[in-house]
Amino acid sequence: MHLVTLVLYTGAFVAYAWHFTRRDAAVGRTATTLLVAAALAHTFLIGMATVEIGHVPIASATSAISTFVWLLALSYLYVEMTTDERAMGVFILPLLVALDTIPALLPGVEDQAAVLQGPLFGVHVSSLLFAYASFALACMIGITYVLLFKEIKAKHLGFFYARLPSLQVLDSMNHRAIVIGWVFLTVGMIVGVVWTAQARGYAFPDPRVQAMSLQDPKIFVALVCWMIYSFELFAARRIGWGGRRAAYLSALGFAIVLLNFVPISYFFTSSHNF
Amino acid sequence: MHLLLIGISHRTAPVDVRERVDFHTRGVGTALAALAGRGSTREAAIVSTCNRAELYAACDDVAKTRQDLTAFVSEFNGVPHPQVAPHVYEVSDVEVARHLFRVAAGLDSLVVGEPQILGQVKEAFSAATESQTAGPVLNRLFHSCFAVGKRVRTETGLGSGAVSIGYAAVALAKKIFGDLAGRSVLVIGAGEMGKLTAIHMKSQGVQHVTIISRTMAHAARTAEAIGGASAATWDDMDAALGACDVVISATGAASPILTKAHIEGVMRPRRSRPLFIIDIAVPRDVEAAAGEIEQVFLYNVDDLQATVRENLARRASEVERAEAIVTEEVKKFAAWFRSRGAIPTVIALRQRFEAIRRAELERLEFKLAPLPTDARARVDEITHLIVEKLLLTPTEQLKAIGDADTIAVYTEALTRLFSLGEPSQNDSASGESDRRVTSFPRPGSTPRR
Repeated sequence: MHLVTLVLYTGAFVAYAWHFTRRDAAVGRTATTLLVAAALAHTFLIGMATVEIGHVPIASATSAISTFVWLLALSYLYVEMTTDERAMGVFILPLLVALDTIPALLPGVEDQAAVLQGPLFGVHVSSLLFAYASFALACMIGITYVLLFKEIKAKHLGFFYARLPSLQVLDSMNHRAIVIGWVFLTVGMIVGVVWTAQARGYAFPDPRVQAMSLQDPKIFVALVCWMIYSFELFAARRIGWGGRRAAYLSALGFAIVLLNFVPISYFFTSSHNF
Repeated sequence: MHLLLIGISHRTAPVDVRERVDFHTRGVGTALAALAGRGSTREAAIVSTCNRAELYAACDDVAKTRQDLTAFVSEFNGVPHPQVAPHVYEVSDVEVARHLFRVAAGLDSLVVGEPQILGQVKEAFSAATESQTAGPVLNRLFHSCFAVGKRVRTETGLGSGAVSIGYAAVALAKKIFGDLAGRSVLVIGAGEMGKLTAIHMKSQGVQHVTIISRTMAHAARTAEAIGGASAATWDDMDAALGACDVVISATGAASPILTKAHIEGVMRPRRSRPLFIIDIAVPRDVEAAAGEIEQVFLYNVDDLQATVRENLARRASEVERAEAIVTEEVKKFAAWFRSRGAIPTVIALRQRFEAIRRAELERLEFKLAPLPTDARARVDEITHLIVEKLLLTPTEQLKAIGDADTIAVYTEALTRLFSLGEPSQNDSASGESDRRVTSFPRPGSTPRR
């Protein structure tokens, strides 16, 4: 069933790539239509799972990835519709397709552990997933910024110059995405700390609760991300690190987020292996 | 009915001829009225720009109209015929459509893909509509050409990219800053080039322009010429550099006036605010190494010229795609235009049937006379409906034929089968105005009570 969404995301990716190279308006509309269809199919899947298990499917690494892909698709569609700018799709879609293969090929089993029954669990996971989706957008916008920046700087006004919005627009879109992501990251982390403190009371025997500390790679790397984005938000521009350097920072930040989200979740963490 | 085009353009006539053959001098409306008064055309439109003057006409006799239009061009503009004649080109029928479509697409323009021409063609058509010289043929022709112009703009890159230095500078500034509204520009040097570029920027919404020159009086004069600009002294340079977004440098200085170190010093308090420097001075005003500074975009005259050349080359590469669109639309227009060739036959056929109906009613008059009036009206109505129904399919089929040879075959067959050419019909099909066509029921709109 999840294969349908994967196929739709892949189709949308092909259409966005085609639209980007040929700049055919009809293909562009097809791309958006396919992505909307993919997002709707995905909404249906997540809705079904929610009905089945009683909460949004986020209690396993795989279903969290699926929900993340869904949130990212919706966030991207929001950006596209509000800015009327389709050029970014070709950069976002590969990530959606790549990540969506995981839930499509190995469906996760929702963890029913006692520790996950608390009310803060949903807030913690969903705000972090939303933060990650914002950072993914910021990263892609940052990459396009760098591509355009290099063309203008090198005086070779070509492929990206003709297709991307202005540097100023990309920079402010990037900034906005980072602000939103940072707010949700902060909320998600604070809720996580509070929730851990509570869980030590009601689910102490769970070894994962005992492993909730800064020594755990997942928590440590999340803190590193938070510091990188805080730096970008509050210090970078003051010391002249705007524009291209800010774009590089958002790419670096998201690379770490992705590392934390996929390999660390699956293989290294002992506190977050649900 | 035929289509005919008589014109001169930048391809055939030098500017001294073009400026004398300008229908705008006395007004396109006046010209159209004068042309209509001559009676050689059924429909007419005039496209007149600084690069072309073209008369589009729908007429019955191509040779006669051609002569009259050429005479009209020289008479109306007061230019002796021998001076205009060598530069005039003429095209007829479907090729007129190809020509106008290429014009509307910008393929025939001096600068390929320039966008103004489509608007000028639209103006030409609305002038013809206002003067009531545009009929069904030119109507269709011009609306098709608007569609071609739109398709070429949206489906090809023919009109993309700046093709002059001023536009290239503005396009770059927009690509860096997005909207230019609220931005400020600093012009160094009070020369003509800097002034023109600043005026261009101002027309794009730049909020503030400052002029700096070694001589304050020169700066003040240039500022006044630009309008809404302010002048500053050379000592204010650093403050002005710190406050502006775009620098246009165009002094006659023999050595660079802005060094890398100088600009680095200015950039520090700006933090990450980008600075776009356009150095249009030769020799250059700004040290080339300044372009290495992060957030400084430095373009000199050669760089801008290179982007202009690239854009022209890119437009040239799109010509083929645009021509393909033109060919496609010409085919559609041609099918419609040729199908009009069947119209005289359709008219003759209908008149023949109607004549027979009337003749038969008259012949049976003695039998119908005793009937009450409403019954007679019924008979008239029923016979009329029968004729209409019999002719509906043949009319539709004839109008749908798109190629001239098939039309000729059908016309021949119908003329023989129904003796359409014979004078016994006591009507004059050939003398009928083509406008009558519109009063015939069209397929689908035929009353079927």
